[in-house]
Amino acid sequence: MGLISRLIRKCRAKSPWILLFDTGACNACDLEITACLTPRYDVERFGALLKGSPRHADILLVTGPVTRQARDRIIRIYEQMPEPKYVVSVGTCTTSGGVYWGCYNTYPGLDSVIPVHAYVSGCPVKPEAVLKALSVLVERIERGDI
Amino acid sequence: MIWKILEVLIFPGALFILAMSLFYEWVDRKLYARLQNRVGPHLAGPFGIFQPIADLIKLLSKEDIVPAAADKFLFTFTPIIAPTLILFGCMFLPIAGPSGIISINGDLIILIALMSLFTVIIYLAGEGSNNRLASIGATRAALQLVGYEIPLTLALLCGAISARSLSLRGIVEAQTSYGSWIIAGPQIIGFAIFIVTAQAEMERTPFDIPEAEQEIVAGWSVEYGGRRLALFRLSRDLELFLLSGLGATVFLGGPSGPLIQGLEPFLHTIYFIAKSVVVLVIFTIFRAIFARLRIDQVLSFSWRYLMPLAILLVIITGVVA
Ligand code: SF4
Repeated sequence: MGLISRLIRKCRAKSPWILLFDTGACNACDLEITACLTPRYDVERFGALLKGSPRHADILLVTGPVTRQARDRIIRIYEQMPEPKYVVSVGTCTTSGGVYWGCYNTYPGLDSVIPVHAYVSGCPVKPEAVLKALSVLVERIERGDI
Repeated sequence: MIWKILEVLIFPGALFILAMSLFYEWVDRKLYARLQNRVGPHLAGPFGIFQPIADLIKLLSKEDIVPAAADKFLFTFTPIIAPTLILFGCMFLPIAGPSGIISINGDLIILIALMSLFTVIIYLAGEGSNNRLASIGATRAALQLVGYEIPLTLALLCGAISARSLSLRGIVEAQTSYGSWIIAGPQIIGFAIFIVTAQAEMERTPFDIPEAEQEIVAGWSVEYGGRRLALFRLSRDLELFLLSGLGATVFLGGPSGPLIQGLEPFLHTIYFIAKSVVVLVIFTIFRAIFARLRIDQVLSFSWRYLMPLAILLVIITGVVA
């Protein structure tokens, strides 16, 4: 690994910009993610900013069950993001279906639709858990695992 | 000759200005976070001071996407022209001496023109990306320009009238010879108008209508990612540097201050940076305590209150000076 690529990986790890995608969650997970931005948790410590446009973002946080309606939108948003991009599945219903498990209109998990790099479980998730997932993810980015 | 080239490229030229503008972004973000009782960036380097650099390198290393529907020419050239324009403007700032790297008669006017041109570039960038949200953002940027541009020009002209010079060098020298800064006296209103309108020029809260994230995603910049976004962010940082420096120069005496023989360029730089950081802090506090306005509120505010105030101030300044 050259010096330049080490520097680039370090910079990527220090500035993970987040895009929040809600497939139609019950909103609890979204609120907990929003809580990460508040003074108590302050995700900007890690250099993370909440971005509105997929073109600006590095990390896609998906909340809510992956419904048939949302599937195409998730894929489109994912494809609009520039490489390198990472996906975090936030909440039990995104990860495995949760309370919607086995429903006729949901998929069993986000990883059956797009590649996922980190999972956060909880219904709703705790802000600490989201921060933990982000910090594990940026550590792996810095090491060059993903 | 070689010294002139070094001056343009390194100090107080391009490299120094770029480094300072990234530093200013850090000051802005950190102070903004502290005002909201947050910590702000703090893991990249000591106190997170390398955060803007990390953002920049990360964006430069990302994939480059050109949307199929976008206008290739505008999409390629606007991100290059935007930081170039502002960097060129920064060359006029008197950083390491009473005059900038480029100093000509009437450079204040050139600076004002460059800043308006920058908004035009943003308009083109938004329209060129051929996206609905970007197009709305671009139109708002252009519409906002109609509101703040004239008060901004008049406020700066008030400073020029009281110094009886249209060049930044003349303004700095006038303040040195008067022994007091232009802000002392009626120009404090001019400074206030400058702060408000400069905030609109930089599209920062409460005037971040063209980029309003909650309504139109990211406004005109919605389609720009990767290195194009990096260049736009860089031009925003440079603009922050340019406008804080301009406010410090026109109203706060610029690089003037008590000097010691032999250390002049160094002391000039220190004074310039200190004064422009004061202006930057005012910008940041302004950004932290207000919420976003609507576009019609901005326009009616600026035409009903800012504009008459600025015209009145020009008349007062003309009578007094
Ligand atoms: S995981 Fe639970 S709290 Fe989160 S969106 Fe799904 S149902 Fe709601």
